[in-house]
Amino acid sequence: MSSTQKPDLEENINVAQAHERVDRELAAAAREKRVDDQGAEPITLWVMAVCGIVAVIAGGILGAGGKLFAYGETFPENYVRASAPGTKDTGPLPKPAIDALIAKGQKVYSVKCNGCHQGDAKGNNNFPSLVGSEWVVGDSERFAMIILNGLAGPTSTGKSYPGGMPAQLGLSPEDLAGVMTYVRNNFGNSTGDVVSVNMAKQAIEISSNRAMAGKQVTGEELAANHAKNLPGDPMDPTTLVNPITLEPAEAAAP
Amino acid sequence: MSSQDTQSTTEDAQLRAGIDRSLRHPVMFFLCSGAAWLAVSILLGVIASAKMHHPEFLSSCPLLSYGRVFPAHMNVLIYGWAMQAAFAVIIWLMARLSRKECRSAGTILTAGHIWNLGVTMGTLGILGGYGTGIQWMEFPVFAWPVLLISYFIIIIWSFIQFRVRPKGQVYVTQWYLLAAMVWFPWIYITANTLIHCLEGHPVMAAGINAWFRSGMLLLFFTPVALGAAYYLAPKVTGRPVFSYALAKLGFWSLAIIAPWAGMQKLAGAPIPAFLPYVGAAATALIFIPACTAAVNMLCTVLSDKDTLSKSPSLRFVTAGITGLIILACSAVLLNLPFDGFNTLQLSQFSISGYGFDVLGIYGFFSLVMFGATYFIVPRITRREWVSKRLISMHFLLSCYGVVFVALVAIFGGLMQGLGIEDWKTNDLARANPYAWAVTISWSLILLSNVFFLLHLALMWMRLGRRSTHPTLLVSSHDHASPHGEEGDIDNAGEIEPAH
Repeated sequence: MSSTQKPDLEENINVAQAHERVDRELAAAAREKRVDDQGAEPITLWVMAVCGIVAVIAGGILGAGGKLFAYGETFPENYVRASAPGTKDTGPLPKPAIDALIAKGQKVYSVKCNGCHQGDAKGNNNFPSLVGSEWVVGDSERFAMIILNGLAGPTSTGKSYPGGMPAQLGLSPEDLAGVMTYVRNNFGNSTGDVVSVNMAKQAIEISSNRAMAGKQVTGEELAANHAKNLPGDPMDPTTLVNPITLEPAEAAAP
Repeated sequence: MSSQDTQSTTEDAQLRAGIDRSLRHPVMFFLCSGAAWLAVSILLGVIASAKMHHPEFLSSCPLLSYGRVFPAHMNVLIYGWAMQAAFAVIIWLMARLSRKECRSAGTILTAGHIWNLGVTMGTLGILGGYGTGIQWMEFPVFAWPVLLISYFIIIIWSFIQFRVRPKGQVYVTQWYLLAAMVWFPWIYITANTLIHCLEGHPVMAAGINAWFRSGMLLLFFTPVALGAAYYLAPKVTGRPVFSYALAKLGFWSLAIIAPWAGMQKLAGAPIPAFLPYVGAAATALIFIPACTAAVNMLCTVLSDKDTLSKSPSLRFVTAGITGLIILACSAVLLNLPFDGFNTLQLSQFSISGYGFDVLGIYGFFSLVMFGATYFIVPRITRREWVSKRLISMHFLLSCYGVVFVALVAIFGGLMQGLGIEDWKTNDLARANPYAWAVTISWSLILLSNVFFLLHLALMWMRLGRRSTHPTLLVSSHDHASPHGEEGDIDNAGEIEPAH
């Protein structure tokens, strides 16, 4: 019993039991087999054949993609979804005129106007503000003439800017109608009316018939000839129009 | 066997037992909390699936609306169960194969708790309506750095063990596990920074998300499961891996093909046209790494049919490998863009994508993880599994359940896709019977995993059998008494050579 005795021969230790206990502690680890990855079987022919068939199918999948890098062809510009089989093509869903024109005008503004008049249309020291300007929210013909021909001399506030404003060339009637409606109903301006495509067409015609065609308009010319609204019947802003052509459209069938 | 051999074998067993003991708490923590999350996930899956055929089910509770329950189900399945099972298997296998005891069990355990905290907060975030709406990344944005950092703290020790391992050949399992350990941070950081931190086009964000989901399955769960299978099959049968050449082919083809897959989910979307088709072709080509690994495993396992029928771990691994073969075939089948057989189109917006994911995560990955669990746990707890009936219930219900979920969802999804193509039919009505079947089979799987969780918890509490006899799935008809060998408590008889 005492510890001075030879411990390994101590009689009250049952050696067989002690071994069993150790065995049990190690049992799971001891009964394991070794892992061995040295199997030397070659890659069998049928595995290669099946994988080859799948590789051919994968090639077919790539081939079915057609022109993989012709982005413009896969997703053509102005793509319109085909109508459902057996139904009439109704085109894109109509929208109220004021929404459609503002959406169109926003794009034109960002290309044509944003550079000088800034994103908030407040201009800066070198370019006048469009917010609340009488020539913007006032008579629509005067506003159209400034856009189409540019402006020399003082603006509605009486301040002159060096060089004035250049003529905005290449505007289609849709562009002009859109950008005028957008500026007159955004940035804090809210005339609530729309400039229709028809009115914009007349504006382009008036502009080309000016005596001083090709030159910037001045404050005097505007006051003398263009201090009025554009001819043509005003359009109800809630009229439903086709958002692409901006022409009036029937409401979609439910 | 000479006495010197006996001596080295004993020392070897002591070393292995020491490694097992050093990892006992982290591995058991990951497995048990993972199994608990798995049960939660399946419960959420049952609810989500029930809403497919009964939209009014539990609809009064906004917490349990489909848009929250379904993402919670998938995220809990992935981050709660699958990742934690992978952690357990990675840290144990890397320690065993590098022959190094783990000296950072406490750190790993702490990081594991942080991981679980992240998953809990993220899941509550989803259920509370703060999910991001980006699939498999629905946890609110705060969660991903937490998960990433705890991932590194958990995994870094396995890298260190590999670095300081004794010289020698690097085993197949180590290739796969090391690759997975590196690939996960790659895809996780890429997807999260590109989507959450950098401004980008939302369509491209959807593409990155599709790539991320594919990457989680093919670049993390697949290599972890294959690594575990390459360890368990030769270990349990005692036969060498069938073919080293096939193993190399399988690994390198996975490494080369898998990163290209994923974008096929955006076929027809306005992203560069080559991306979806390259994704579809790569997903079909996943057949090659999957098939070579599966053939290699099956040839190894089938060389010892007796052990296959008895060993729970080998049965689960073999079932998982079978799941891998089905996964590989459906990877080809679901990505065909040919006129007249356009499954790529049919599977895009239907439940077949869900079936594919479940097949990958449960029918392949999780079954192999269960197999690994049945192998690892008796070693680290030094107790044998309590009941072979619980194991066979788990096996049968899991296998039947997942085959049902996956195949029904894949095929039903194609039927639903046909319904979507014909705009006059109600595609959800077409999917309805399949949704019913999915609900029922998830319920079966839930039952099986309650057994599993119970069994695992008993093992963690060291209430397993104190015996040197492993719990094998032998028929009870062989024994005269149902309380025969297996039922004996403290039966320290002779050491059986078989597993």
